[in-house]
This record gives sequence, structure tokens and C-alpha cells, in this order.
Amino acid sequence: MRTSRRSFVAGGIAASALVGLPRIARGAAPRVVVVGGGFGGGTAAKYVKRLMPEAEVTLVERDRQFVTCPFSNYVIGGIEKMQTITHGYDKIAKRGIKVVHDEAVGVDANAKKVTLKGGASLAYDRLVLAPGIDFVWDAVPGYSEAAAEIMPHAWKAGPQTLLLRKQLEAMRDGGTVIIVAPANPFRCPPGPYERAGMIAWYLKNHKPKSKILIFDPKDTFSKQALFFESYENLYPGMIQWISGKQGGKVTRVDPKAMTVEAEFGEEKGDVINFIPPQRAGKIAQLAGVTDEKGWCPIDPKTMESTKVKGIYVVGDASIAGAMPKSGTSANSQARNAAAALVASLRGQEPPEPSYANTCYSIVAPGYGFSVTAMYAATPEGIKEIAGGVSRLKAPAKDRDLEAAYAYDWYRGIMYDALG
Amino acid sequence: MPDPREAENVKGVTIPLALMATLAAGSALAAPTAETIARNCVVCHGPKEAGQLEIPKIANYPARKMVEMLTGFRAGQKEATIMDRIAKALTDEQIQALAAYFANQ
Repeated sequence: MRTSRRSFVAGGIAASALVGLPRIARGAAPRVVVVGGGFGGGTAAKYVKRLMPEAEVTLVERDRQFVTCPFSNYVIGGIEKMQTITHGYDKIAKRGIKVVHDEAVGVDANAKKVTLKGGASLAYDRLVLAPGIDFVWDAVPGYSEAAAEIMPHAWKAGPQTLLLRKQLEAMRDGGTVIIVAPANPFRCPPGPYERAGMIAWYLKNHKPKSKILIFDPKDTFSKQALFFESYENLYPGMIQWISGKQGGKVTRVDPKAMTVEAEFGEEKGDVINFIPPQRAGKIAQLAGVTDEKGWCPIDPKTMESTKVKGIYVVGDASIAGAMPKSGTSANSQARNAAAALVASLRGQEPPEPSYANTCYSIVAPGYGFSVTAMYAATPEGIKEIAGGVSRLKAPAKDRDLEAAYAYDWYRGIMYDALG
Repeated sequence: MPDPREAENVKGVTIPLALMATLAAGSALAAPTAETIARNCVVCHGPKEAGQLEIPKIANYPARKMVEMLTGFRAGQKEATIMDRIAKALTDEQIQALAAYFANQ
């Protein structure tokens, strides 16, 4: 829009008469910037706009498309195509949210500005950070960002997902696939074990002499009994899990030799899926909202950072008590954060939140199970009210129904976050 | 088809819920509104635009039937894959309030 010199000067005088008053008190539309266009960021932008249509909501996302981690294991298993898990930002843009495809490279919490890689800066009254995770590349000697081209993590969906898929396709029958699972906390706690099932599905049908080894620093994991039951039912003898107690903690990898050295000894893999340790996305660190372990402490009632006022952190980057780092958790946190953020812009008390999580795992077509819970904010953090996992020894129809529900969950969350 | 008369029957229960909230647990914990809780339900039981195929729709669901379903799930008396686990997190008042909320969607 062009501004004539006269109107600019007149505007300047009007503004100077109100110096000292907060911008919003002068009647300007509140500006909300959301960094990160995944489940948390998309949902936060959408719900702030829904609750406060007059707000100027800007969603900053580096990528043109959102390739979801949920269902990426089914692409790796050969059941789904990349197209199924790839989504644009056109629908959310039509809801009056300004979508800026750029990378946030700095936050000045005092000046309330986000700097973008492209050079522009965005002023905000409230900021939502939903940056997801970054990898700690150097946690295990031998691994690096470059090594991920040989030993893919495939823990951020996209080219890495396809790389792992292609490696499995190229592998000989009778080969060994090694999955290196990370220590807690990490994105998608059941994910490595669902992935083992999905890879087993592919191998059973195409390379049945092959085997899968899961190296794990942990002694327990999410939905463990259900995964073991499913491996036994569907892929007997194919998947071996080496726990922390059994020496499953990986101490070194060699991408050239394609070996993994763990406390129990060394193994050679034909395909090695190394999932590195993680921390909050870098912008959280730059904004000063991370703790010494690299994650973001938040007020359990509002998801507002306890380190920097006016910044809300949702999704995998946050320390959300009992809630796992999942798409559903991010989505639920973002809805509650949006309500708290809008209340704060209106000078009101935040409403009482209600958090929920559901994670489905599918280990073969028509074989799904879940973990679910509802959570409440307490002064000690976000606590589980009730929940649990699918029953063991459930009839086949239940597993089939839960696999179908997983697809419906996906449709639903995509609609709630970006639709 | 939803029966609007059933929705009428429980319309008033959102007020007792608010009342319960202030009375609950020595008022240390406030209670989320029915809509706040319901937003969690809607992710899976989404609007038709979400394009879900198998999970039952619950917008305009008859309130009495929803109360029956949720209390049945919670007690473990009604067959379920997942709702038995979720319903255990809900109080009687929240079940009533959710039923009233969805009946009017």
C-alpha cells in the first residue's frame, strides 16, 4: 500500500500523542507471530485467529510444504506414498493467516521482534515458538549431519524418509537392518518400534531372510508389550531388541564400514537407521527459552515460557510434564496456548486448559494399537488424569479398527492444524 | 438422526459444571469448560470437512445417548477400543457438559 506524505505525517502526530501507551491500548490490532508450521504452530495460528479474528497472525515456516512424521513409517514400509504425508499451507492462508516462508534466525524479546533469514523482521505482541526438534549431531562419535546421508535418521520426514526407503529397496535378501533408538526424551516415543514393524512388513514380503536389530539405551519403551506381542504374531524371529541392560547403548558408529559399536559389541548393518538424541529447535535456544538440557520449561496452565514472558512454546520443544512429544500433544498444547495467549492480550485470566494425547501405531496393514491420555495443569506440571494403552490379546477386529482409526486420526489432526 | 428434545433435557448442566469447578478439590484446581475439553474430542471425531471414514461423528449427537455411552465406556461396561481409556478421565459433570455441548453443535 502506498502512503502519501501527508497521511504519513498526520499518522505520526497522532501516534506521538499516544506515546507511552501499549500499542494494543491505542486500538491497533494485536500482532501474533507463530514460528514453525507443524502440528503445534499450525494449530496455534489457526486457533488464535479463530478466537481473535482482529489479530494479525503471521505464521513463519521455512518450508513450502509440511511433510509429516506421522505416517512416514508407512512410506518407509512401502504402504503409503510421500504424497499422503505432504501438505501445503494454502488452506490455512485462506483463513486470514499470513504465511511467510522464511526461517526465523533471531528473537529480540525486549524489542519484541523476530528476525528472518531473508532480512525482514516481524514485530509481535505475543510470540508462539513451535520449532520442533533439532538433532544433537555429535552425541555419538562417528555420527554427523554428513553421516546422516549414509545412516539416515529419517526422524524429520522428507528426503530422509525416502533415503531410508530406497536403502531398504536396494538391500539384499538376508541383510541386517539396524535401528538405533535414542534415550528419553525424544520425538514420538513409540516411533522407532513402529518403524521396526513397518520395515519388517516390507522385509517379510520381499526379503524374508533379513533381520532387524534395535539398539536401545533404554530398558523400557512406549507400548512395549503391544509391540512385542505384534512382532511375535506377525514377524516371529525377525526383530531383535537389545536393551540398555543388555548393552544396547551405542558408543560409536562408522559410516564407512557400516558398523555400529554398542556396549555389548559391534554389529555390521546393511541398512542403518540412526536416530540421534534431540533438543528443542534452534530458534528456541536463540530466543533464550531453553534450559541447560536444551528443552523449554513452560507454565503448565498456559504453555508460556517460564524464561521469557510473552513467548509461548508448544510441541516437541516444550517440557510438558507427562505428555509425550507427539503431534497430538503439540496440537492440544497449541489450542490451549492460543486460548491463554488471547486471554492475555485481552487482559483476562487464562482459561483452565484441557490437554490430551493419542498416538496410534500401525505395524502392518490392519494391525494398529494406541496409547491415549488426558492431562491437567497442576502447580507441579502437566499430569495425567487417566489413560492407557490398547489391551493385549485383543481380537483381530480391534487391531483392524484401530488401524482404520489411525487414518481417521490423521485426517482429523491435519484438518485441525492446517485445514 | 439427533433428537433435539434430548439435547434440551440436559442443556442446563453447563451451569452446574461451572459451580462444580469452584467447589472441586478445595478449589485448588479449576475445571476446563466443556468447549475446552470438547476440542480434544473433535480432533478424532472431526467435522465432515476432515473427511474421516470410520470414527463416529459426534456433532449433534443426542445428549442422553452420549451420557450413556461415556458412562458405559468409563465403567468398562461398553465395548471400546480406545474410549474406555479416555472416558476414565471425565467426571460425571464433564460428561453431562460434553453431551450438552455436542448436542448443540
